Amino acid sequence: MPLTAGGDVRVVVVGGGTAGWMTAAALVRLLPGHASVHLVESKTIGVVGVGEATLPHMRAFNERLGIDEADFMARTRATFKLGIEFRDWGRIGDSYIHPFGTFGRGTGTVDFHHYWTRLLREGKALPALDSLSYAGALARGGKFDHPATGGTLAGTYGYAYQFDALLFAPYLRQIAQESGARRTEGTVVSVDRDGESGDIKAIDLDSGERIEGDLFVDCSGFRSLLLGSALEEPFADWSHWLPTDRAVAMPCRTRTAVTPYTSAIAMPSGWRWRIPLQHRTGNGYVYASAFVSDDDARRALGTAVEGEALAAPRVLRFKAGRRRRSWVGNCVAIGLASGFLEPLESTSIYLVQQAITALIELFPERRISATDRDEFNRVIDLEYDRIRDFLILHYHATTRSDSPFWDYVRTMPIPDTLSEKLDLWRTRARIVKYREGVFLDPSWVAVYLGQGIVPEGWDPRVDTVATVALLDSVEALRAEIAGDVACRPDHRSFIERYCAMPQAA
Amino acid sequence: MRGERLERIVVAGGGITAWCAAAALKRHAPSLDVTILACTPSPDALADRIACTLPSLLGFQEDLGIGVADGIVRTGSGYRLGTLFVGWAAGLPDYVHAYGRYGTSFGPAAFYLHWVRSAQDGTAAPFDSHSPAAALARAGRFVPPTATSPFADYECGLTLDLPRHAAMLRAFALHVGIREIVGEIAGVTLDGDTAIAAIRLVDGSAQSADLFIDATGPEARLRGSIDAVRDDWSAWLPCDRVLLAEPDAEPAVLTTVTAHQAGWHWSSGGQAGFAYAANAISDSKAARVLRNASGATPGEPIRIRSGTRPQPWLGNCLAIGDAATQIEPLEWCNLHLALSAIDRLITMLPGRIATPVEVAEFNRQTRAEAERVRDFLAMHYRTAQRDNPLWRTLAATAPPASLAHTLVQFAERGRLPFHEEETFARDSWAAVLIGQGFLPRRVDPLVSTIPAASVRTAMARQTAAITAALPHVPTHAAYRAAQTRHLTR
Repeated sequence: MPLTAGGDVRVVVVGGGTAGWMTAAALVRLLPGHASVHLVESKTIGVVGVGEATLPHMRAFNERLGIDEADFMARTRATFKLGIEFRDWGRIGDSYIHPFGTFGRGTGTVDFHHYWTRLLREGKALPALDSLSYAGALARGGKFDHPATGGTLAGTYGYAYQFDALLFAPYLRQIAQESGARRTEGTVVSVDRDGESGDIKAIDLDSGERIEGDLFVDCSGFRSLLLGSALEEPFADWSHWLPTDRAVAMPCRTRTAVTPYTSAIAMPSGWRWRIPLQHRTGNGYVYASAFVSDDDARRALGTAVEGEALAAPRVLRFKAGRRRRSWVGNCVAIGLASGFLEPLESTSIYLVQQAITALIELFPERRISATDRDEFNRVIDLEYDRIRDFLILHYHATTRSDSPFWDYVRTMPIPDTLSEKLDLWRTRARIVKYREGVFLDPSWVAVYLGQGIVPEGWDPRVDTVATVALLDSVEALRAEIAGDVACRPDHRSFIERYCAMPQAA
Repeated sequence: MRGERLERIVVAGGGITAWCAAAALKRHAPSLDVTILACTPSPDALADRIACTLPSLLGFQEDLGIGVADGIVRTGSGYRLGTLFVGWAAGLPDYVHAYGRYGTSFGPAAFYLHWVRSAQDGTAAPFDSHSPAAALARAGRFVPPTATSPFADYECGLTLDLPRHAAMLRAFALHVGIREIVGEIAGVTLDGDTAIAAIRLVDGSAQSADLFIDATGPEARLRGSIDAVRDDWSAWLPCDRVLLAEPDAEPAVLTTVTAHQAGWHWSSGGQAGFAYAANAISDSKAARVLRNASGATPGEPIRIRSGTRPQPWLGNCLAIGDAATQIEPLEWCNLHLALSAIDRLITMLPGRIATPVEVAEFNRQTRAEAERVRDFLAMHYRTAQRDNPLWRTLAATAPPASLAHTLVQFAERGRLPFHEEETFARDSWAAVLIGQGFLPRRVDPLVSTIPAASVRTAMARQTAAITAALPHVPTHAAYRAAQTRHLTR
């Protein structure tokens, strides 16, 4: 029996950004003998370079591709990321960390946040919640170390990277080309479709070259050249829930610490990111154009950044939502071509990675079966929908009323799926249980509590412990974490020892 | 209102399910006042009457603090490593569904996907020969999973001596502080449309509580007094009668389940049974079938109405076991579903008055779990290959949507989609599907990135390791005897 009917599936990837090269590298590395990959990229079209900050899942992707962490970090000028700091979200002046780890020890039959809720409701003076998460404490301390093994507190977290996305694509390109991916430079001028099936037969380039394929992967970014423009797959617009539609980005020199976390600072009409890399700090203001002009947004960002600007501010336009289906006919869209969710929780590269993983798990034959396609769409839709709810929560759970933007998001109707989650939390500190999906219990706890939603009830099993005993164990835990964290290396010096970028750079 | 604490729970029921619920609630939330109303057990409550259990019972007992000595050895339980299916797919050998891994994978694709390629090449040994637990079970041998040996990565269920087990659980429950009231239910006094004010007893007394747990079997004496809404599963699960018999035999480490034109019959040592469709065989003929198969005289037929309550929890009354879900005992899920509901209640304990969101979330999870168990059982019929009218009808019946999705994905390329609240592991699904000859059309590309020859060698090495280690493991009977000796010494 032949491996696949008729040999290799000819995969044509359109677009050479992060999504395009991640896809190409993964397919040639993981499906040798099944996929021949031909990537088309245009020099004249810029790269968005989305997602300088990532989620811990990226480590698994890199490992699968055999990427050496220190080498990858040095070449993309990467730093470590233990979580995201949210400033001014629930109220101006607030700051909390969404850590990539648990609160408390992560063991025990009743989750830590039930005890915490009870103490809050009893009006006890408590330390910052961050200090009871190992990852949170490590982040606040400006420290980094690889997680320990063996069930200790120092093993209750994961980590991700903050890196220069414009350097990541070339890094993957080298891997992909070494493993046999073909690359053609050119701009797509037309898409040739089968009159009957509507499938894409070939793309024509400005050079006159024609590239045929069995499967076309649209990594063309916001243009969505194949899925959006050629196949006209409708777009499900979520901007009534996520009204930000522009970002102005501007890197600057790093003046303060190279923090092992990304910051998301709420602004009058959106929020601002701060992503420290080895050589500079990325900044951007994500805003809703209905509430602030481009000029005012640019000015606001210019005032807020900490150091000298390293480039002129650049404005990006987008709309929250996704294509109704990501895979139609023989065309799969990956990355921005399939949809967009603002980078508040660093999910862009994660969504690319999940799409690639699903494509590999459901890799088709030359004749594509609806079974593979439908399953792919089911899996991807679920990812988008769950992230969407989590993002909306950040805007909804606020008491801010200092600008029309915050008035709108605070009072807007939210999806039923999110209302149910919130109700369950408010009632008895329960998190809607699911195992599949990116943000699990501690993430929801961090945002709920960080933005001031304290449940009215908690798990009754907590009531068997006396308040004094609870306070003692909270203090013991805080002290143990603080003591352990104090012995860990400073983030900057860890990087210098482990993965410093080349000096010439 | 939300601040008020849950204080008093009454559990109604006289079987294992009720004792498990009462003991677990008191053990995990000691401040609760838990009373059991121990009424006469319902003869039709399968969760209380089927001797074979899934591995979940062991974990449940362990969480309560009931260890091997009290929870297994002193109650005369046997270990179960799996089920042998005989006659489910004509022309194919019998197969074992064991509770553990089948093979060790090579690379990113699951082992069973590699096996599928070997099968297409015609070089595969039977799928269950790659399962250490299945090999032990077929040989009648037993050892608890041991990480450093080939006999690792599996779990075991039990074959219970039901009266002794119930007595043990009762003693344990009383020991941890359960109050026992012996009496019969005369009726239920409602408070509004969806709340129970009190249970009236035959002796004229009444029991009130914040929360009532209905473990009274299919009659659902409490929950049934509020409403009778249920989802019917009989289109996919044909058996509506079960006969039980008690042959005089030692518990078997491998339970044999044999397909019959009217259903299936089984033998687990001390308990034998026949699940059948009443429209395919008469009760008296069915009794003869079971007597011939087991050598023991069956009792009265138990009636099953396959289906579930979409809202096992309504108001202040929560149904568990057969009061919530009735399902034929194929794959031994009856007690398992009850234990799972008890665990879920404990992790979702409400205040004195449960809010609708809490109840809805409990019901959502419980229903999803029950429906997925239904799917697993329905899959046995849907993919069986037998040429009798009953079986042909079942094989032709459109499956529930969630099962259809799994079957379509598996048939195409061997994908087993993830489901929340899934009871059975992917290897369990694969063991039955492959055992019944339901094979994927395509070999997954991730499999063929590894050369077939090296996979063949590695697979052969794995089975050889199992075979070589097998003779050094004691027989199930010897293992049990040694455990008993150890205790009495």
